Amino acid sequence: MIRTPSIVLSALALLFAAASAAANEREPVVVQDAQYGEVLFHFYQEDYFPAIVKTLAAKDRSQLDHHIDDAELLLGGMFLSYGHHLEAAQIFERLLADNVDQDIRDRTWFFLAKIWHQRGYLAQSQDALGRIDGELPKNIEREAQMLRAQLLIDQGDFDAAVALLSEWKGRTEWASYARFNLGVALVRSGRTDEARRILEELGDMDPFNEELTSLRDKANLALGYALLQDGDPQAAKLPLQRVRLEGPFSNKALLGVGWADAEQESYGRALVPWMELRGRDLLDPAVQESMLAIPYALAKLDSISQAADHYLNAVEAFYEEATRIDRTITHIESGQFFDAFVSDDPLDSTGWYWRLQELPEGPEARYLYHLLSTHEFQEGLKNYRDLSYLYRNLDAWEDNVNVYANMLETRRLAFEERLPRTEASLARADIDSLVNRKLEFDSLLNNIEESNDWLALATRPEFEMWGEIASFEQSPALAANIPEAEEVRDKIALLKGVLQWQLEKEFKDRLWRIRRDLRETGEALVETQRARRKVDESIREQPLEFQAFGDRVYGLEPRVRGMKMRIADAMAEQRAFLQSIAVGELQAQKERLDIYTVQARFALAAIYDRAATVGENQP
Amino acid sequence: MIMKRFLPFLVAMLLALSAYAQDDPGADDAMALSDVVASDDAAAASKDRFRELDKDVQSLKKEVLDLNRDLFLLEEELLFPANSQVAFFISMDVGEYFELDSVSLKINGKEVANYLYTSREVDALLRGGVHRMHMANLKTGDHELVAVFTGKGPHSRDYRRGATLEFTKGIGAKYMELEITDRVKKQQPEFEIKEWE
Repeated sequence: MIRTPSIVLSALALLFAAASAAANEREPVVVQDAQYGEVLFHFYQEDYFPAIVKTLAAKDRSQLDHHIDDAELLLGGMFLSYGHHLEAAQIFERLLADNVDQDIRDRTWFFLAKIWHQRGYLAQSQDALGRIDGELPKNIEREAQMLRAQLLIDQGDFDAAVALLSEWKGRTEWASYARFNLGVALVRSGRTDEARRILEELGDMDPFNEELTSLRDKANLALGYALLQDGDPQAAKLPLQRVRLEGPFSNKALLGVGWADAEQESYGRALVPWMELRGRDLLDPAVQESMLAIPYALAKLDSISQAADHYLNAVEAFYEEATRIDRTITHIESGQFFDAFVSDDPLDSTGWYWRLQELPEGPEARYLYHLLSTHEFQEGLKNYRDLSYLYRNLDAWEDNVNVYANMLETRRLAFEERLPRTEASLARADIDSLVNRKLEFDSLLNNIEESNDWLALATRPEFEMWGEIASFEQSPALAANIPEAEEVRDKIALLKGVLQWQLEKEFKDRLWRIRRDLRETGEALVETQRARRKVDESIREQPLEFQAFGDRVYGLEPRVRGMKMRIADAMAEQRAFLQSIAVGELQAQKERLDIYTVQARFALAAIYDRAATVGENQP
Repeated sequence: MIMKRFLPFLVAMLLALSAYAQDDPGADDAMALSDVVASDDAAAASKDRFRELDKDVQSLKKEVLDLNRDLFLLEEELLFPANSQVAFFISMDVGEYFELDSVSLKINGKEVANYLYTSREVDALLRGGVHRMHMANLKTGDHELVAVFTGKGPHSRDYRRGATLEFTKGIGAKYMELEITDRVKKQQPEFEIKEWE
């Protein structure tokens, strides 16, 4: 039996790294049930599926009696890690109330709230947050507070979100994110002035890492565009210019700066940031839009011919891009794209922790890369991948079940073949008469003992010797009254006396030995009778056992097949869902390009009209 | 004129840049894009569909786990009936003086199992996991088990030790534990075979 850290903490340690340290500090527990240790062996290797199956099997056989509560909590933790969050929640609801420290309980509810939020179960997420009744560690509390605010924002309750985030204290990264979200929430609820103050503060901060720098860019961008929308292009320019020139938000910032100038009719200035966007990735809508913005400014500056060239370039670029998107849509709709996600997957690492970082190589990756970071797409992919795992798992079982069916059939045939031979040998072995003979021996031995019949226990040579002496005794020659005969008579009497003395001396010892042998024979006979009963029982029960196993094997076969079909259907549905997201995204990109193309063509037509009109009016 | 037409796109997009997660700085940009391209109704419908599918997946997972449990029980009962079943478990306590590499098992002089441990498995053993290394069907009566442990001993020296146990198999399943512990006084590992109590 081995000692292992408190399992309640271990189970949850995987869920939140912070608990790991605590887990090592707690009093270790002793693994008393081998099966529980076996579950831990898989659990610690993060092989949740086999660990869960073994826990369920051990529970079914009552093999976890010493660890029943721990095992149940562990199961909850593993369900969660395996992405089986609804089942996990049921266990936690049942067990967390009484069995664990409040800090662990609160952390677990927080973790569930987070998962549910990511999976879009907003009501459950809110409920889980509501169950936290103690003080969380500071870093988790900040995240929980963020989650509360996010839930309010998701539900459109901006005022409550504003109220919650206004109370935010501290200057951590979470605080900055919270302030940003507050700013966005304020803009959404039309309170631009309040938003402006918050975003201004964030946009002007001195960031100490890449994440915060990125957040600062985002805040500046949001503020800049909010001001542009509010009709204040002059004020919008400053925050937009604070965005880094190279970064995920630089394209949008450059576009915005240009619009801020254009709004103030400084078209020449506007061209500077817009021209910078030329040659950047055409996938970015800001770059696409700049391709229209440039000729727009040029036209305003009366560079009509240049404007026309740019519009023509834009139309051509949009057309090429739209064609590529069409090809990608066709590929995705063929279904091959999503199969590539799961084709090389090992049979482990399913579940909540898995996160796809890279798309399979191919032209579509370029268009869909950003989809990876959306919750629905990621979670949908996880589900798709889990389903694929389940399918392969059942596929392997289907083969095994067929083998077991064959095995069972072979055993049954072998049994039927051996049965007549066994029955014949059993009939030959007359155990009852052996028992009777043993009893007769017992009785005979009792008589010998009672009558002190030492001669009865003589060995064959002794008995023969005794007989010989007796026959000598009876010899008529010895009856003669002569000294020689008397001498022989004396010798015979002596021999007889010595032999009798010998036999009497060894009588008890011999009696004990024979009794011991008889007792052992009796025991062997009892064992034989028991074995016989077992054989008889086996002959009676074996067919029933074959029947019971057969029922299970043949009952499981259709269950496995049926389940495989259902999983295949679910996979198809999940794939269709993922395809619809991906294709929807591509369609939207294409629609945007179509709108831009129409805009470009319209502007081009206007330019040609204008040129034609000018030409006609000239003498 | 063009600006009026396009600006709302970007404004809507940027306002959707809610910065919830810290994991991926670029993530919200993409979320924003998808928010822009899909109408609110479409996005809500997509979320509903996701949840609907997710619930189906959850329920399938439960059913497949239950099915796996039944299959696992059947497999074990079929291959190792309780009357003849003997399971051999490897466990490790502390493990400061021994770095496990492999274990081989001989039952009644016949080699029945050889297992090479990965570092991940050794780690799981050190943390309290117990590895069921071998299952066998044995007749009732006396048997001899010999286990040979190889690995690195103190001062990273190659280490190979055996342990033997004679045991009696009665009716019903039997569990044997092959335990590796540290003998602190001698600064040596200790290998012991015992019946699981």
